[in-house]
Amino acid sequence: MFEWLKNSLEEHVSLTKEEWEYFKNYFRPKRMLKRQFLLQEGDVCRELAFVEKGSLYSYTVDSAGNKHVIRFAFEGWWMANLHSFFTEQPTRLNIEILENSELLMLDRKNHDKLLEELPAYERYNRIILQNAYVALQQRVENALGLTAEEKYDRLIEESPAFLNRVPLNLVASYLGVSPETLSRVRGNYNR
Amino acid sequence: MSITKQTIAIVGAGVSMGSAIAKSIAGGNYRLLLFDTNLEQLGSLSEEILQDHPEADFEHMSCPHESSWEADIIILALPHSAEKELAEKIRDVAIQKIVISIANPIDEEFSKLTTRPETSAAEELQQWLPHSKVIKAFNTTFAADFEQPVIDGKQTDAFIAGDDEDALKTVTELLETVGFNPIIAGDLSVSGTLERMQLLLMQLTIENDYNWHAGWKILHN
Repeated sequence: MFEWLKNSLEEHVSLTKEEWEYFKNYFRPKRMLKRQFLLQEGDVCRELAFVEKGSLYSYTVDSAGNKHVIRFAFEGWWMANLHSFFTEQPTRLNIEILENSELLMLDRKNHDKLLEELPAYERYNRIILQNAYVALQQRVENALGLTAEEKYDRLIEESPAFLNRVPLNLVASYLGVSPETLSRVRGNYNR
Repeated sequence: MSITKQTIAIVGAGVSMGSAIAKSIAGGNYRLLLFDTNLEQLGSLSEEILQDHPEADFEHMSCPHESSWEADIIILALPHSAEKELAEKIRDVAIQKIVISIANPIDEEFSKLTTRPETSAAEELQQWLPHSKVIKAFNTTFAADFEQPVIDGKQTDAFIAGDDEDALKTVTELLETVGFNPIIAGDLSVSGTLERMQLLLMQLTIENDYNWHAGWKILHN
């Protein structure tokens, strides 16, 4: 139930056995089913979610009812709306379960407590936020400056998991291209 | 009240208190996971829920561990004597979750509590689930009160005790959904008082023939 979290931590910091036992009891294990909502627009995001199994994705819905995918999360990834989490303002995002999932939830109070009491978590958290910021910057750069073909190339390079686990309409939405364009790009790519 | 639906597991949903809670919150923004070893009782509960709330989101579960894993809130509608064994089964998936203790540890003759004077059913449950947020609630009301929370023109008070502020707030909303007037009585150490209040209410109900439809109400300015 905690394997991916343990691996994720150990990748960046080292924890004693006692520290790990102390650490993991701050997480709320939550199993969720495909198409359920972890968070809906208008609510405050009160917890960070770590994916132990399955996948989920965050998106906004525009006034015409179109979904705009912000990001996905698979095993070993974190998911939340940090803006809402840190400001306690209602979120504009929805977070939905893509595949049946096992999550570990960490609320703000416990997150703050761990930051204060466990220096290893503070360091881990800094690295995770740093990586998330870099990923976000790359995503903005890709969205602004690349052609549909280039965006698709990057995606395959960076996250091959996308290809077989995410429906094409969501991949298209994530890349900011129409499903028709994506299908053309994929056609060219496979040739 | 949150927009995102919360999931509530009711362990012991087939018996009177569990069923009463399930029926009274089925119309709220909750997904209910109902577990009971008595499948027949669970079946008739489903029919009753659907009669009043055709849109209700609920599911029968085959195991308390699975139910608790999927849940945000766990309601143990069991006698206190069965809680220790159950706690062991769900401990790993109940971490950081709200676990509602509704049990009143009262002997068969309705003469005394079976717990030691310095503790309570809720505090014992908290010991068995050390990383959960145990809240005492739904213990000062009878099953019949859920269908008719207004008695003699007055809204029945429902008392809550617990140590976690956010958990108390969430359970307050749950009691409002039922139609009770929620009152936070204090931290978990107040549970013993709440359990004794119900012992007294039961004794008076038998003595004065209240027909098991009675409740507490604080009158104030």
